[in-house]
Amino acid sequence: MGKPETTLDIPLEISDVSGQKVFSVANAPTANTVGELVHEMIGKMNLPRNDAGGAPLTYQARSEREGRHLNASERIGDALQRGDRLTLQPNIDAGLR
Amino acid sequence: MTLAFPYRFAIVIYGEDGARLGAVAARRDWEPAHEWTRFYFQRRGQLGLDGNGSASSVIPLWEHTLGEPYCRGYRIQIEAPVGRPVASDFPNTHFRDFAAAVASRFVAQKKLREGEFYSYMVVAHPAPPEAAKAGGLSVTNASPSLPARDASLAGCLARATPSGVIDMDDMPVFVSRSVLDEAAKLTHAKEGTETGGILIGTLGRDTNAGEILAEITAQIPAEHTSGSHVKLTFTPETWAAADAALRLRRRGEIYLGYWHSHPVRAWCKARACTPEAQKTCYLAKDFFSPDDEAVMRAAFPRAYSIAMVANDTAFTDLTFSMFGNREGITQPRGFYVLEEAIHGA
Repeated sequence: MGKPETTLDIPLEISDVSGQKVFSVANAPTANTVGELVHEMIGKMNLPRNDAGGAPLTYQARSEREGRHLNASERIGDALQRGDRLTLQPNIDAGLR
Repeated sequence: MTLAFPYRFAIVIYGEDGARLGAVAARRDWEPAHEWTRFYFQRRGQLGLDGNGSASSVIPLWEHTLGEPYCRGYRIQIEAPVGRPVASDFPNTHFRDFAAAVASRFVAQKKLREGEFYSYMVVAHPAPPEAAKAGGLSVTNASPSLPARDASLAGCLARATPSGVIDMDDMPVFVSRSVLDEAAKLTHAKEGTETGGILIGTLGRDTNAGEILAEITAQIPAEHTSGSHVKLTFTPETWAAADAALRLRRRGEIYLGYWHSHPVRAWCKARACTPEAQKTCYLAKDFFSPDDEAVMRAAFPRAYSIAMVANDTAFTDLTFSMFGNREGITQPRGFYVLEEAIHGA
């Protein structure tokens, strides 16, 4: 776990799986959860929210500094530090459908 | 890199007798067409490899006879650093799937009879100005430039063997023989179950030829997946393990896409298909499902990304099909096989 952040918001860097789509966030609210951040960033990064059948896709945020997937319920201020880089990694099926 | 929409598009559905049945705001994924347009002009040197700041917009192409608001297609327009914007035009067929979904809804609503022929038109109207949203995340695009090294297309072609139908408009893709051999070995080892891996390699730029090419140097077996005979699930742990493997190699490679197997022989067995039916089945070669495409969209959205399928059929040796973004749509494509890696040629 990171040292708890006491500021209201922190800058972060968010990447997709390929590492070729990277966005800087200037003001991630420390009181928000990682799940809320991921939800908003999926839209900002124009990543798909649903699979081919319309079912919601699940993305997990992986902290590069800590080398672990963050739980969606973790608070940004508790789990992340200024300048941390997160990668959004989906759980997704290739298949016959 | 964010797309601007000065117009709102809608689909108008007409019944068999030409009666207007209704209009629905068009929803489609514009990203693949946007990516394709940007990459097309990067390949030709008309856009910089760092195109993150380029303003882009989607504008209607008016139908020649009917005029505004009827469209014959749409245009993705990207501001170039020097001179006029670059643009690609796309046909109304890009709205076909959405129109079909709307027609299905109209059938459910009894606006259209089951089995009735319908037609659709695309219309566009100026979008009202959007009110600035208060709060929210302040986000800027910090995507890296395309990491293309100097390369010689002629040098690569001289050492390569074409596989499949090569479209000269496609970015040339070179695959090391060792990658195909490893994918074949993994496919045979998991016969009857889908398996796969992540394709990594480099991009090269030949300024004389005005082209960008890709060389797939290796595949990283997809770990922490769950496979059955009809699907392969990539988990967050899969991507994390691939990241670790890529970093360990320290060769400046990037993700170029993914491959997975289609255990067609298992599909045929489950359906009790005859040997003759198997030979002509559309699933046996160059089949890429909507699920397969969704993996590309979620994990490898850049236009240079490719996907490869190992077709494991009962009637012939293992074959490989490749797919990539052509004109905003994932389509089968050819590639070149390299007996020896060039890597940085």
